[in-house]
Amino acid sequence: MVRKTYSTIGRTTRRKDGVSKVTGREIFASDVVLPQMLHARVLRSPYPHARVVSIATAEAEAMGAVCLTPSDCPAWLYNERQVSIPEKTYRDRTVLPETARHVGEGIAAVAAKTEALAEQALGQLAVTYEPLPSVFDPWEAMAPEAPRLYKDIFLGDVVLPIERNIACFREMREGEVEQGFRESDVVVEQEFRTGRVYHHQMETKGVVCRPEPDGGISVWPTAQSIHNVRQLLGRIFNIPLSKINVHRIPIGGSFGSSIQMNTCIAICAALALKAGRPVRLVLTREEDLYDHCKYPSLIRLKFGVKKDGAIVAGEMTTVVDIGAHNIQAYPLLGCMAGWFVSLYRMPHMHFQGTAVYTNKAPACAMQGYGNPQVSFAVESLIDVIAERLNMDPIDVRLKNYVGLGETFWGQGPTVRSVIRSCGVEEMLQKGKDLIGWESRNRPEARSGRFRRGIGVGRSFHTSGTGAPMSGEVIDYSTALVKFNEDGSVDCLTPLMCHGGGTLEALTKIVSEETGVPLSKVEISPADTRSTGYDVCTHATRGVYCGGASARRAAQQARGILLQFASRILEVNPEALKIRPDEDLGQGVIYLEGAKGKSITVGEVAKTAQIKSWGTAIAVVSHRQVNCPPCFVTNFIEVEVDTETGRIRPVRAVAAVDAGTVINPDLAAGQLEGGLCRGIGLALLEDTDYDPRSGALTCGGNITDCKIFTALEMPLTEDVATFFAETEEPSGPFGAKGVGEAANNCTAGAVANAVANALGLRFTDAPMLPEKVLARWTDYLREKRGA
Amino acid sequence: MTTYPVRFLLNGTPVEVDVAAQDTLLETLRNKLWATEVKNGCGKGDCGCCAVLLDGRAVNSCLTLAVQANGKEVVTVKGLGNEDDPHPLQESFIRKGAIQCGFCTAGMIVSAKSLLDENPRPSPDEIREAVSGNLCRCTGYKKIIEAISDAAPKCSPSD
Ligand code: FES
Ligand code: FES
Repeated sequence: MVRKTYSTIGRTTRRKDGVSKVTGREIFASDVVLPQMLHARVLRSPYPHARVVSIATAEAEAMGAVCLTPSDCPAWLYNERQVSIPEKTYRDRTVLPETARHVGEGIAAVAAKTEALAEQALGQLAVTYEPLPSVFDPWEAMAPEAPRLYKDIFLGDVVLPIERNIACFREMREGEVEQGFRESDVVVEQEFRTGRVYHHQMETKGVVCRPEPDGGISVWPTAQSIHNVRQLLGRIFNIPLSKINVHRIPIGGSFGSSIQMNTCIAICAALALKAGRPVRLVLTREEDLYDHCKYPSLIRLKFGVKKDGAIVAGEMTTVVDIGAHNIQAYPLLGCMAGWFVSLYRMPHMHFQGTAVYTNKAPACAMQGYGNPQVSFAVESLIDVIAERLNMDPIDVRLKNYVGLGETFWGQGPTVRSVIRSCGVEEMLQKGKDLIGWESRNRPEARSGRFRRGIGVGRSFHTSGTGAPMSGEVIDYSTALVKFNEDGSVDCLTPLMCHGGGTLEALTKIVSEETGVPLSKVEISPADTRSTGYDVCTHATRGVYCGGASARRAAQQARGILLQFASRILEVNPEALKIRPDEDLGQGVIYLEGAKGKSITVGEVAKTAQIKSWGTAIAVVSHRQVNCPPCFVTNFIEVEVDTETGRIRPVRAVAAVDAGTVINPDLAAGQLEGGLCRGIGLALLEDTDYDPRSGALTCGGNITDCKIFTALEMPLTEDVATFFAETEEPSGPFGAKGVGEAANNCTAGAVANAVANALGLRFTDAPMLPEKVLARWTDYLREKRGA
Repeated sequence: MTTYPVRFLLNGTPVEVDVAAQDTLLETLRNKLWATEVKNGCGKGDCGCCAVLLDGRAVNSCLTLAVQANGKEVVTVKGLGNEDDPHPLQESFIRKGAIQCGFCTAGMIVSAKSLLDENPRPSPDEIREAVSGNLCRCTGYKKIIEAISDAAPKCSPSD
């Protein structure tokens, strides 16, 4: 297809926040300093499960510290994640709990003049605990005699009894799955596991809170949604929202770690309100490690196929160990079902998902929200099908993928939409050429210590959670665009940039729509008082949903500006156009073909001000009625050292179908970063617990909870990225998302590459060297024995 | 608590600050000298976000005691360049897309500067090695390594 050409969209430009980031001038939450500010520290449970009998604060208070214990905090149960509709929101926690349910759960807090003093005061708190029996394994947790984490919690406003530690259960069916398996020629089935990966965002969670004289509070948090932070604080502390102002502040990486209102925010707000002074609370790395992690998964997956490779039936059963709090397990299970049924057509399907409480750090969304886990299983099993039917794995994918014109589930059963743009085939074909698929051998052809193999994996993510009707998940965005009196443009949005360039993309969308050069379009600082609601910068929705609202606001403001211009130029406003003139640093309004009928945007805006006509300004709240899939494909070559078990990724091709790509360089960066995290999920990352103490075995040190460094990530010259040439009719200038999709297919591609190298399939990630070596040794022994 | 006066040059400006024996250079820079460009990603020597040049060599300021800086020269990323006159490394990081969230960036650039001072034309492998103490969760490192390679020929030790 022929791509439209734009003045800024799709062009690589110097990112606007670049200078402040490279010169160290960017201010993150942990850098905020306010006059009279106190520093907070949190006392954390050393027990995985214990009742807090008493906390003596006298000595800490004698040192001048302000102390916060459960009895100081509102008893209202909350859920830190605020995107499900209220009746689907599970509420099980308070600001500080009377029962600690995992090691590292905050049970008291202090604030003092310096961090050192706060640390000392923390040491003076005397706590009496009554240790309770604990459980760490989800299967054991579901046994009738297992220790119970909760008797009941709230679902919306209804008391929900919790039986056998099952936080929630979902089941979905379409067709007749048993009949589907009976009609199949081949049935394949395997169990897959992924680890409890830590987000590892480089900035630990933090917040600064300032109580205000009117009884309100101002907040500078690490957060992906300033509005949800405000709503929750208002509800917990019973403060009118008009008196709470949450500021957007750059975040040092998120990957989902701040998708909710982090618990440290509620603790810090309570301390600040009690102290009557600003308080800063920044988590240590150890505390952060105990705060959240990715949902680990155990997936049993079964496919029934015809001889020609057509999938007839699919069944997935999953058990998810959610840790000590149910942050968003209900939508997670819906999404996992959606990811499962939307990759490949299956006339008959059955999904069952169980989320189980255990005494571990709570799991929350992490890039992909269950999708990397599901795609790891699905993509692995697709290769098993190819193997069984002696087909090319790419052909099995091409035969079955859900594509153009078909309905897909998106994020669960209430988020269904029709696919209107699809680059699946293009990515498979082009990626195949780039990696040299034709030269890919069978494992039997390999010998020697180092064995290489090539694997493919594909996946997708939805761009947001929009749908024709409102469902279980809230999704809309609000943006304001205004023309300033010198011809520059302000865009105000509560969206966040996590680093991937979301706000950069918005400036381009607004520049393109208004005709004002990019150098004169800026994103305004945002807070909850000055912006309309935006659900959250999550779900790969920033550009597709947030960008769509900004484009609509720009359109409306432009309409007003052209009305003003038409009064000056004495022409019909509909005949006027605007083009950017970088040399002038202005948008130029002109009448096509009519010389002399032109004027700059600045002159019009200034005239409108002087003549008191008004400001060309518009605010739009908008919900997308679709959530188009951004498809991704990875081809990865690995080298396995059969003597050490170490797997080294040596080459990779990463592609995305993001519709019109707004920031090409930044989108490529997203693909590269996603690849790295996906390889981490496949080969390295997990958080292990000591079953006796319930503590993390890494002891809170990231040296013992590794992510790849530049050295171990030998993918530099050998990583290629490309974009499918598509255009999404419902997206702003044809754009869809990239974000989460970037890491969704990687683990599957790695597993398939390893299987191609060794003839041995690993279904439990991470594939650590010791595991690989042990399996390889057994495999060789069996082969010799046979 | 006993404190000691410590004097050093911070980005070319003489500073004097009272510190306790156990205070780290990181805490002192951030909390007493408002050098918030130096980031705390772990406080334990694991991530490199806190890297600064101490007499020209990159160190993790969280593992360096403030008293160890006495009489020395400390340079942070702010000391390498500013918006009007960016260091070639800073410029390359922007142009090559080597920044995403930017939290690792200050430490990464400082480590790269230390490398280029010792080895003005490093190979990609030498660059990887030099920044292997700097974790970045966002980028996958590819563009960072490219940015450092790109900046190398444009740098002189006096930059
Ligand atoms: S903060 Fe110093 S190495 Fe992480
Ligand atoms: S850019 Fe975010 S950690 Fe490196």
